[in-house]
Amino acid sequence: MEISIKRVSKDFFSEGKKIKALSNVDLTIPANQIFTLLGPSGCGKTTLLRCIVGLETPDSGEITIGEEIVWSKEKNIFVPPEKRGLSMVFQTYAIWPHMTVFDNVAYPLQTRKEPKEEIRSKVEKTLRFVQLEGFENRPATKLSGGQQQRVALARALVPEPKVILFDEPLSNLDAKLREETRKELRSFLTELKITAVYVTHDRIEALSLSDAIAVMMDGRWVEIGTPKKIYFDSDHRFVADFIGQANLISGKVAAIEDSYTIVDSSIGTIACQKSPDTSVGNGVTLCIRPEFIKVIEGEAREGSNIFRGRVESLLFVGDAYEGEIVVADTRLIVRIEPTAIVEEGDEIALSFDPDHCFVLSK
Amino acid sequence: MLNTRTALTPSLIAIVGFLTVCPVVMLVFGSFSEGIGAFGTFTLEKYIESYTDPEFANIIVNTVIFTIGSAFVATLLALFLAYLNTRTNIPFKFLFRIISIIPMMIPHILFSVSWVLLLNPSNGLINLFLRQILSLENSPFNIYTLGGMILVEGLLDLPIAYLILAPAMAAFDVSLEESSKVSGASNLRTLTRVTLPVLRPAILASFILVIVRSLASFAVPSIIGMPGRIYVLATHIYRIIATGFAADFGMAAAVGMSALAASITLIYLYRYLTSESEKYVTISSRGYRPALIELKNAKYPLFGIVALLSFVLIVLPVLVLFYTSLVPYSMVPSAKAFSMMSGKHWLQVLKDPISLLSLKNSVFLGIVGASLGVILSIFVSYVIVKVRTPAAGVLESLSFLSFSFPGIVIGVGFMWFFVRTPLYATIWSLLIGYIATYLPYGIRPLTSAFIQIHSHLEESSRVCGGGTLYTLRRIIIPLLIPGVVSGWILMATMFVRELTLSVVLSRPGTEVLAVQILRFAEDGLWGKLSALGIMMIFISSTLVVIASLIGTKLTKVEEESR
Repeated sequence: MEISIKRVSKDFFSEGKKIKALSNVDLTIPANQIFTLLGPSGCGKTTLLRCIVGLETPDSGEITIGEEIVWSKEKNIFVPPEKRGLSMVFQTYAIWPHMTVFDNVAYPLQTRKEPKEEIRSKVEKTLRFVQLEGFENRPATKLSGGQQQRVALARALVPEPKVILFDEPLSNLDAKLREETRKELRSFLTELKITAVYVTHDRIEALSLSDAIAVMMDGRWVEIGTPKKIYFDSDHRFVADFIGQANLISGKVAAIEDSYTIVDSSIGTIACQKSPDTSVGNGVTLCIRPEFIKVIEGEAREGSNIFRGRVESLLFVGDAYEGEIVVADTRLIVRIEPTAIVEEGDEIALSFDPDHCFVLSK
Repeated sequence: MLNTRTALTPSLIAIVGFLTVCPVVMLVFGSFSEGIGAFGTFTLEKYIESYTDPEFANIIVNTVIFTIGSAFVATLLALFLAYLNTRTNIPFKFLFRIISIIPMMIPHILFSVSWVLLLNPSNGLINLFLRQILSLENSPFNIYTLGGMILVEGLLDLPIAYLILAPAMAAFDVSLEESSKVSGASNLRTLTRVTLPVLRPAILASFILVIVRSLASFAVPSIIGMPGRIYVLATHIYRIIATGFAADFGMAAAVGMSALAASITLIYLYRYLTSESEKYVTISSRGYRPALIELKNAKYPLFGIVALLSFVLIVLPVLVLFYTSLVPYSMVPSAKAFSMMSGKHWLQVLKDPISLLSLKNSVFLGIVGASLGVILSIFVSYVIVKVRTPAAGVLESLSFLSFSFPGIVIGVGFMWFFVRTPLYATIWSLLIGYIATYLPYGIRPLTSAFIQIHSHLEESSRVCGGGTLYTLRRIIIPLLIPGVVSGWILMATMFVRELTLSVVLSRPGTEVLAVQILRFAEDGLWGKLSALGIMMIFISSTLVVIASLIGTKLTKVEEESR
């Protein structure tokens, strides 16, 4: 089901100060996709999620889920959360400690007063799906963090909702378990073909799970796109920086050629991707990801996009070196092959493909 | 809905504020008044009269020795037990849980009486026994001394000291000790040079809390101190209002002011120290079980001491009381004693109209008082945990205020208030006083219950399709029940045994169990006292059992109703 959010605003008051949690958000979340709201803490992503589910009421605007308007300030509509037919997985899992696993998962069906046999078979089926068969009679508190997370997921899946909302569901798991669960979650959700709205501040989680990502900042979204679009071809300085390590270089457009834009920058003349919004003389910021900068071994030639610099620091992180290279007083972060023969203090030459250097227009 | 919510916090502040602040304000005004009938006049007469009394210095000295002595006894014993339990391989560790909880269930007045029965110089059982065996002229022990008071008060406050020290010791970062041992120090040296200094805030906190408790204690000073003419502040106040020709509530208030001031100062110090010791705890590494110290040959002798302590704390008092209630007069257990046993004292108590009235009153106060107290605690805890506005913070401080007030002083303050109302000399005055004084006992378990109900648990139920009432019935109430039950049990048991406030507020017609027991003690009617005391323990235990059963039942109903 499609979720459409129109001009939704919400303010919070904290210690006498007004905080704009959401400011005039317009957003359409397409049906049957995993849609992620990504952003730093305080950007409004959780507030937006809670407005969709009905645990928070916006100050203005309209929210429609499928065909139904669930909130409208003007039309004075408020559908309470229990009537919206959504499911949600909470950051704390919100497993009820006084109930067994079975009761926790059966709860959404019990609220609808479904027949007992039907509840039993649905719960069993769902527990099988999340690989928790045989745990029915365990007290829910006697489970590990990962198992509790699955109970929360099973409880969200059991009523076969059209939309599931996730509020940072993996943030309480340890790193290794988080990676595994991420993979599982992706396969569960793609298999079920339902609309999932996923809130996280973890960029790797967002990139690996989502069909589309909305990056949020200060109560509004700044960019929406597929993970690849967001990572490789963002328009925004904030987004490019937030989604991964980035070298941001300011400069001025010197020329626009057939296939590249030529920019004069502090490290020299750079050939980069063509950007439709720029013209000669414009001030721009360029973004190059550290993994696309290559160290040229042996005798370096002169040519386009070749720069000379000194290795300032070198950090071995296993699958690569994380190097800081100073080129004409500008510090670049570079991922260097672990097998490369470089040392701190070396003078080296770097190059990168113009296609991997993109212009941030905003 | 919104209006009731906004009105909730101020109205609770008004109620709790009245309960805790009213007696203090009345006490202050009362201490400057000419007499209970002349409230609102201003005179320093009562202060001059009470603080220039030549005996007053003596009372202060006694109070200081008594409170500090008890603090030493309780803290040292608690340290010893906590160390054995958390850090060594001593066997039967469940005993430590029992030691830390069960003695709280034995009313202080009965515990004190049992020691009098064992160690009083004229016919204490141990004295009689030793005199028989060793053919002594005089009794070797006399409980009616400062030493006796310190011993008994120290034992009574041992559980409190233990409950502060054991967690601190368990949370202790063992690597501090290990690094000491690696540097070549022995176990003993590590204990004295590293462990104890690091635990110092917790040790001081326990020490101070015991001083506060023994300053407020009335059972030990009245049962053990007064027969030996050893008066401390609490009994001095009692003497001023309960004996002599005319009760002088003005003077009681003036003396009470110094007890109150001392208590509040100490509680502030305690708060400061506990926040310090929590700082230590958060630094320590978690989830790492320390290696237990192998006791080797000392294992069973040390365990013997623990076993003896638990016997003395739990079994002995009840045993002595039960025995005394059955024999006609004090005698060492023997074949003759057993042949002379009868239910005479029990029958006398059951025929005594005042004892019966006190039974009835205490049961009423226990059941009705605890129920009203818990209802108030539910609302207060809800606001403290869930509303969390600055006003809720005010409510929290107010509701824990009574912890720092000695009961008898609060009683005097309330007396000044109640004589001006129709509540004077009614059971309701006791009920209000009880709830005011013991409100923290209800609020503690309920705040932890509310804290457990994370807002997500409630919200998750809403999202799952449960409406407000459905969520209340299936999520909130079941999760609250354990807190309600323990709050009710704590309050009911405190109310059934209440002595300190009651000696001030209870009038003819509103006698309660503990006051009646005190009267029996003053008249030396040990047999009747013991019978009534056993009934008191029985009533408390019955209330505990019934409350727990209802709690379990309610939880069961929840499970079946799905």
